[in-house]
Amino acid sequence: MTATPEGTSPALPPPPPPPPPPPPRAAEAPSAAVPGPPPVATVPGAEGPPVPSPIDPAFVPDATVFVQQASVWFGHKVALTELSCSFGPGVTGLLGPNGAGKTTLMRAIVGLLPLNDGQIQVLGHDPHRERDVQRSIALVPEDEAVPPALTARQLVRYTAALHRVSDRSLPDRCLATVGLLEVADRRVGKFSKGMRQRAKVASALVTDPRVLVLDEPLNGADPVQRVALIELFHALGDQGRTVIVSSHVLHEVERLASRQIVVIRGRLAAAGEHHAIRDGLADRPRSVLVRTPQARDLARLLVGLDVVRGVTVDGQTVVVSSQRAGELAELLPRVARDAGARLLEIRPLDDSLESVFRELLR
Amino acid sequence: MTVTPPPPAAPAPPPGPPGPSPGAVAPQGGRGLPSPFVAVVGYTLRACLPAKRWWGVLLPCLGAVLFGWLATVADTSAQRAFAFVAEQGLFGLVLPLTCLVIGDAILGADVRAGTFGFTWLSPVRFPTIVIGRWLGGWLVALVTLVPALVIATLVAGVPEGVGPMVIAAASGSAAYIGLFVMLGVMARRSAVWALAVVFLGERLLGSALSGIAQISPMWEAQQVYAGLVDDGDGWRLLREGTPNGWGAVVRLATILVVTLAVASWRLARLSPTAGDE
Repeated sequence: MTATPEGTSPALPPPPPPPPPPPPRAAEAPSAAVPGPPPVATVPGAEGPPVPSPIDPAFVPDATVFVQQASVWFGHKVALTELSCSFGPGVTGLLGPNGAGKTTLMRAIVGLLPLNDGQIQVLGHDPHRERDVQRSIALVPEDEAVPPALTARQLVRYTAALHRVSDRSLPDRCLATVGLLEVADRRVGKFSKGMRQRAKVASALVTDPRVLVLDEPLNGADPVQRVALIELFHALGDQGRTVIVSSHVLHEVERLASRQIVVIRGRLAAAGEHHAIRDGLADRPRSVLVRTPQARDLARLLVGLDVVRGVTVDGQTVVVSSQRAGELAELLPRVARDAGARLLEIRPLDDSLESVFRELLR
Repeated sequence: MTVTPPPPAAPAPPPGPPGPSPGAVAPQGGRGLPSPFVAVVGYTLRACLPAKRWWGVLLPCLGAVLFGWLATVADTSAQRAFAFVAEQGLFGLVLPLTCLVIGDAILGADVRAGTFGFTWLSPVRFPTIVIGRWLGGWLVALVTLVPALVIATLVAGVPEGVGPMVIAAASGSAAYIGLFVMLGVMARRSAVWALAVVFLGERLLGSALSGIAQISPMWEAQQVYAGLVDDGDGWRLLREGTPNGWGAVVRLATILVVTLAVASWRLARLSPTAGDE
């Protein structure tokens, strides 16, 4: 237990140092070895093989979870296709539209689902076949299935007992961490969706997992709880645990994790830091909003530039579209000076994760 | 590590002083949480038998008592009347139906409901899970079905049959629950398969074929009773070519071991969640 004097940390101590990661692929190299922005490989539309990159951002050097050529299908429905990536300590976001294969990947990572092809290793072990590695894994599933007859305390204590937790007070501390201690003796079947999710989070925390897989953990949580849970997940990641989080609320994923794995139609569509993913979509037009009292004068000069693909003016707002965002960023101050425009605001319109995601889906 | 304290209404930080690592294994005999096996048994009793299932268990038990009463109105000796009732009603209907409700609830229903993942995602060995679940189910049978069959025996006016009935009901329910635990992890529509096994396999084919009867909990439980009870009137239900008495108990124990072994083997290959994304 590593609670700070203020008592603000999660109920769990930092995990022991990770074992040596699985042998990296030839393309792998520590990302810290390369200066500049994080590398990225994108596969627009999830078609074709990953774009070659000096460092494959789908992989991390200190991986605890290693997914290699993972394929899963259900009858004629393909859920995952030759997906390769890895996850290391810290929080990683798993993104994708409904049916993309996120839940399948998460279930495969914890061993609930066997692969039809490829392999997954968690801490160097096959999670589906080797029971002992389950000591280090926890899953917060998305579905609402909980044993309805159990109280929250019974559920967490049950999980603790299965994992041979010796500290009798830990279940209650985990319930307190997710704010359910006061209702711990209520049956989880009577809980709201958000409370059920938090009960499952408490049940996962009590096992002291080194790899924590959270499938839509914020579903049903109110805004205050969301903030607290996001802080909790960050803290767990900071402790050196591998935290894999999926969410359909993209701005929450932005807050949760800087590294993203994007899965579309069962394939790896992109990986890396989401700004880097956006930068990697170099052939896509990007829009920049400029607010200035001299909007028309600025727009007149901008339309003459080669790098500008389109300009729209609305009052004091100019929206510039360009396929060469870097050059536009260099030119814009000079053009503004030439136009005598006083710039009040400049911001990219499509740098959010949501817009990145939209681009990848095209 | 610094984490901003959450607002008052938000999840609160854990109270209490720092404790030992939660992942540490409890020392033998220490004051920890229950062992995994005890936890599995406790989960079975608490979580696997909701109110509806209890009604499903208790109604056949009530039926058993009514069958006992039915034996008293027959125009023959109490032993002979009860032998007929036991064959047709108690061993042929009440025992399998009650065990079906229990056996399906303790594992198959948990798998189908998607809640088995809470147990699967643990380092507990599959045989431990299967045996723990079976034991939980058998305990339920011991406190419901066995007393009901004993009461039926007493109501029918056959007090000398109480002892054999206890042994027959206990051993028969043990094997039956093992069988239904196995079916629960082998077939998606396990209740349908279980009914097919009982009524088509055991009752229909088992009546005609001794080979089926020899591996049938229904017939073997009946043979336990028939072999152990005193039959001064010669009304015994003994069936040739089928073990009876303690021999039938051994046969039922064998069925139990085989079914639990198959269930453990199957559980290791089971995908506890459907691919429903």
